[in-house]
Amino acid sequence: MANDRLRALEEVEKEIAMILQCAGNIVLELSKDKHNASLLDRQLVQFQSSVSRVENELSGQIRYLTQVATGQPHEGSTYSARKDCQMALNRAEYAKVKLGELGRTCEVMLDQQQQQQQQQQQQQQQQT
Amino acid sequence: MATQRVLPQSKETLLQNYNKRLKDDIKSILDNFTEIIKTAKIEDETQVSRATQAEQDHYEMHVRAANIVRAGESLMKLVSDLKQFLILNDFPSVNDAISLQNQQLRSLQEECDKKLTSLRDEIAIDLYELEEEYYSSSYSQWDSTDLPLCDAYRRRDSWASPGSSCSSTQGDRRTWRDLLHRRQTPNTTSTDTGRRRL
Repeated sequence: MANDRLRALEEVEKEIAMILQCAGNIVLELSKDKHNASLLDRQLVQFQSSVSRVENELSGQIRYLTQVATGQPHEGSTYSARKDCQMALNRAEYAKVKLGELGRTCEVMLDQQQQQQQQQQQQQQQQT
Repeated sequence: MATQRVLPQSKETLLQNYNKRLKDDIKSILDNFTEIIKTAKIEDETQVSRATQAEQDHYEMHVRAANIVRAGESLMKLVSDLKQFLILNDFPSVNDAISLQNQQLRSLQEECDKKLTSLRDEIAIDLYELEEEYYSSSYSQWDSTDLPLCDAYRRRDSWASPGSSCSSTQGDRRTWRDLLHRRQTPNTTSTDTGRRRL
């Protein structure tokens, strides 16, 4: 809902730029020796419609703010949920670290075991 | 009948100021543009010479065009102020945004914890099987005071439930590392009557 109102205000900004552009095009067209009447009409209609749209939209926003504004600061927060989520991610990360350590320990053990077996085989071969 | 909201004086004044600025800027744009169009009309009879009149018209158009641009910039500033006011004071949308964010964070936390719990259960099952294998092999060193990890785990779960009794005073928790360490460093004072596979 907030995003819709902010997007509407961004559209209003574009309309304001359109107003100035239409006014400039009209004056530019009037400065020529031969005027293009259809272009002048189109630009004028667009100018008037943009002005009325801007006025209506901004009046509506101000009227809405008059209804909902309380004058008090908002005291809502997402801190607790964010902290809980952060702790859950920390738990997952800790579990990952511990499993990594366990995996490395097992690999070291297996390597040692293989080396011992190889040594035993070599000793047996030397004896025979 | 809707009760009229009583705003603090500053907020009400601010909103009235916004309204006034809006009306003034729109009026300025329309008036100056209309005057420019009127000035563009060529008149045959002038009080001063044509050159002077042209120069005056040129200067007037210049000023009015600058007024239109200034009014446009003032409207942009008004839009910026309204955006700021909206973000700070539009409580319904702020509440919605907060509740949506809380919901997303809580669902992420629950998903994380659910996966950790399932991981714990899987590892516990694998650990139980490994312990069974280890203690039934010839490598294990077992004494009467020790408990296998699987039993220690089961006993810990029963501690967690209310009304459970436990006879062990020390913690039976050991890590897999402890088991590996004892395997590598054999006990010199052997008191074990360990289970051995003959």
